[in-house]
Parts: sequence; structure tokens; C-alpha cells
Amino acid sequence: MDTTKIVTCLADLEEAAEDILTDRQTIIDLDRTRNGNREALRHLQKQGDKKSWIVMGNTFFKLETESVEDILKKDQERLDKEINDLRDNLKKKMDKIKDLEGKPALKGFNLKPLNRDEMSAIYRTMGK
Amino acid sequence: MADNVAIPEGREVTYLERIGAHSHIRGLGLDDSLEPRQASQGMVGQQQARRAAGVVLEMIKDGKIAGRAMLLAGQPGTGKTAIAMGMSRALGQDTPFTNMSATEIYSLEMSKTEALTQAIRKSIGVRIKEETEIIEGEVVEILVDNPTTGSGQKVGKLTLKTTEMETVYDLGQKMIDSIMREKIQSGDVITIDKATGKVSRLGRSFARARDYDATGAQTRFVQCPEGELQKRKEVVHTVTLHEIDVINSRTQGFLALFSGDTGEIKSEVRDQINSKVAEWREEGKAEIAPGVLFVDEAHMLDIECFSFLNRALEHEMSPVIIMATNRGITRIRGTNYKSPHGIPIDLLDRMIIIKTTPYDEKELKQILKIRSEEEDVDISEDALKVLTRIATETSLRYAIQLITTAGVIAKRRKSQEVSIEDVKKVYALFLDEHRSSQYLKEYQNEFMFNEIGQGDASTVRTTTETSAPAAAAMDVS
Repeated sequence: MDTTKIVTCLADLEEAAEDILTDRQTIIDLDRTRNGNREALRHLQKQGDKKSWIVMGNTFFKLETESVEDILKKDQERLDKEINDLRDNLKKKMDKIKDLEGKPALKGFNLKPLNRDEMSAIYRTMGK
Repeated sequence: MADNVAIPEGREVTYLERIGAHSHIRGLGLDDSLEPRQASQGMVGQQQARRAAGVVLEMIKDGKIAGRAMLLAGQPGTGKTAIAMGMSRALGQDTPFTNMSATEIYSLEMSKTEALTQAIRKSIGVRIKEETEIIEGEVVEILVDNPTTGSGQKVGKLTLKTTEMETVYDLGQKMIDSIMREKIQSGDVITIDKATGKVSRLGRSFARARDYDATGAQTRFVQCPEGELQKRKEVVHTVTLHEIDVINSRTQGFLALFSGDTGEIKSEVRDQINSKVAEWREEGKAEIAPGVLFVDEAHMLDIECFSFLNRALEHEMSPVIIMATNRGITRIRGTNYKSPHGIPIDLLDRMIIIKTTPYDEKELKQILKIRSEEEDVDISEDALKVLTRIATETSLRYAIQLITTAGVIAKRRKSQEVSIEDVKKVYALFLDEHRSSQYLKEYQNEFMFNEIGQGDASTVRTTTETSAPAAAAMDVS
């Protein structure tokens, strides 16, 4: 095998791996925001002031508490969706890496999960 | 990828394993292009059979030859069981492999077909996935406010962190209770199941290892979790159909779990499970992982079993059946007809047949060397040569027996290494099959009930074995 081919192979592999690492970091960042939002929502519910401060970028706004809550809730929904999408895509990217490495793909991870009742029945068969 | 990778089940049971006859085999010893290496992974020689087995193995891995059968045919001591073991090792944990001897089906507790059905269902795996959303982190602190009135709602705060982030959760009464129940304190690493709210303690964080001077021996220290706090955990399990059968066979109740003896399972139970698994497959919730059923000494099966297998092979959820036999053209058990390998022609027709051939001298030497390493016996080069000689003239199995016995003799004279003398000594002590029958032929007249077996030389062995108890029984009456 000639050198350029090896280099392209390795480059492809590195790229795929980098892609996964980026996604992983993005999930972490999104989860951090999600937890921050959750704490804020909780706080707003407890304090009961009519108006609240909210910071977007580097600007502070004083808005009706209700609309602030609305903004945060919408943000949470968006974050949940984005995190789930990233996680679903991670599997495909993982398969791609396995393919590039010439290893067999992980089996069974593309199945739909069993629900809780079914799972507890299975756990019984495994003796737990 | 912590949240997307199956976590292997932690079964760290250490037990003393006796050295089995094929314990040295770790695979088929093939390279990436399926070419057999002369000696690798405990396998020696038998290259053609190994190459063939390797091809079959690839097909099994791709799930292509489910519902077909393979026959390993060859003289005794030519490595049929070794090849089957190699295949099972190479298949790995994910593919079920059942190893049975054909004589196991003749049990008084269950019918032959039941025993076969159970063996078949032990060889079919069902792959399923479990998915849970969990919150995983190290407890930074727990604050619980007890109401001043003494009764009423408790409220609390729980601060959790990972290596990446830290956050505060407000706790309700129920969560406080379950945290109290689990005796969670700051420094513990915990998981909370999002769906059920179940709190479980994974251990104490390494960072807090020096908090106390005296800790219980069972305290487990773990790393502070990495990444996000709210994780998705996916685990893929493979269970065999037989395991599901056993639990659902309610008439057996708890007895089935404790005695390990499952008895017969009703066909209705199996039908129910089949349809449930089919339903899961339809919904994309389960995958069938057809495994391998290995039947050693397949000539011991009788005609009923063969026709049952013939039928079972056609079932959609059928494993790959590998049989091994050392018989040539012989009577099919349960009939008066003769057939190659003692297996009916119609079943033979469905099989791919791999033949094993006797080892040559060089291969015998290598096997003996591997075995002596496996049994922790140091053996001198000369002694190994003598053993190889013995193996070519008598049998490989006999020579392998001599390794252990010679090892004992060598230890008795406080030597690290087995010498020629030790081998000679055990060769004199223990007769091989040939010398034993020679002896019997010579002194036949001095043994008891000798009048029965005074036929030609070839029948001597079998008649002495079988007629003695019968004659004894007659004597009593």
C-alpha cells in the first residue's frame, strides 16, 4: 500500500474520531446550559416577583416573569431535542469509525428499547 | 462514549478451574485471510479442516447459515472436539454456544425430543436493548431543612457534580426519603433513574478517600463521573430462548431456579414465548442471534433424534448444528440399516462434512509440548521425543495421559524436569490399549467366564466388557 493511501485512511479515521469528540463536548455544553436553565426556572417559581432580570449575550433585560419563564421553557425543549439528536447520531458515527477500523459494528444498539415491564421480566430471566 | 457503550456485566467470580482436555485452545488459529497458521491459539496441524471451519465460522458470524448443519468426521484423537472448541472460542461471548454429548439425551427425567429441544433453544440468543435516562454525579452536599414545627413537608437541596459541571437540585419529600434510605452523604457517587427516581450508590469518590481514617472493608472507591450530568444509558443483553422458557414455565415454580433441574417445558409455554419474541422482532425491539449447538459423539443419537433434527433444522429460529463422530460406515442406532458415520443419508445430505486426518509425527510433538505447558510439566527434549514415539505407536490420548503421570513421578524424585527415565517408568506402569488387549489375549484362559469370549481377536475387548455383568446376574439367579 502506498503512503498517500495510508495517510488518507488515517486522516479519515482522525476526522471521524474528532467529529465524535466534538459532539460529546457539545452534549456536555448543552447539558450544562440545560441544568442552568432548570435552576433558573426553579428559582423564578419560588421568588414570585412580577418582573425579572434575564441576560442574553451580554445584555440584561427586565421582563415580565411569565415571559421569562416562557423563554426558558422553550429553550429547555430545544436543548432536550438537540441533545437527543446528537446522541442518536453518535451511534451512526461510531459505526462509521468501526467500519474505517475494519472492526465489526456494535450489535443491537439500533434496536428499540424494551419498556420497563418487559425489561423487569427479562431481568427475572437473568436472575437479578 | 460512556453513555452509548455496553458495560460488560461484572462477574468476577474466581474459581479453581481444573485443566480440561481442550483447555489450551483459544481459537481456530487462522489469520485475517482465513489461512490457518501451522500452530496458533493452541491448534496444531489439521489445516484443511481448520480452514473449512473458519469459512463456516465467518458464515455463522454473518448469520448466513442458520438452520444448517456441519459434520466433523475423523478417526479418534484427530482433533474434532478441539476444532469445535476453537470455533466456540472464536465466536466470542455474544453468540451462544452449547456443547453437549449425544448420550445426554438418554435421560430418565425427560424425553429425547425434550432434551434436544432444550439444547436447541439454549443455542438461540435473543438480543434486546435497555435504555434509561440517569443522572450520575458525585454528591457535593445535601441540605435537608427539617420543619420547625416538627412535622410537615421536608425540603432539601442536593448539589451534584461531574468533572465538567455542577448543579443544584431541589428535593421533595420522596427523594429525601430515598436518599436517607440509601444513606447517601457528600462524597458519594450516585445515580438517579429519571423514570423511577430510584437512587443507587456506586461508591465513594476517590477525592474523598482520606475523609476518614477508618472505613469499612466493603467501601468501594470510584472516579468522579465525567461528562454531562444527565446521561442516556443503553445496555444490550443477549438471553437464550431456553432461559426465558425456564422462567416462564410456571408449573415448575421456584424449584426450577434452585435445583437447576428444569424438567420438561410445556409446548404452550414455548409457543407463547416464540410469538412474543416474534412480536418484538416485528416492532424492532429484538434481534435473533442464532448460535451453535455442538453434538459430540453424534453416532449415539438414534433414528428418532435424527428425524427430529431434520425437522428442527427447517424452523426459522434454528441454530447451526455441528456434529462430531468417529465412526465409519455403521449401523444407525435404532435401526438395522447401515449408513456412513451412522447418520441417515437424508440428514447427511443437509450437512457440510469436514474431515479430520491423523496427525503426523511433527504435529504430535507440538501438541504434546503444548499440553505439557498447559499442565505445568517441564519436559526434557529427549523425553518429549520418546513421548512422541509413544504417541505415534499407540495413541495421542495415551501419550497425553503419560505427561501428567510422568510429571508426578518426576516430582517424587524432586526433579523439576521430566526425563526419559520418568517416561519409561510410567510407560511400564500404565498399559496402553494395545498392550492391554495383548495381555488379555495371552492370559484369556486364566480370567473368569473366559468361555464366552473365546472368539477371534477382534471381539475380545467388547465381549469382556459387556458379558461380565450379564454373567454375574445369571450367577445370582
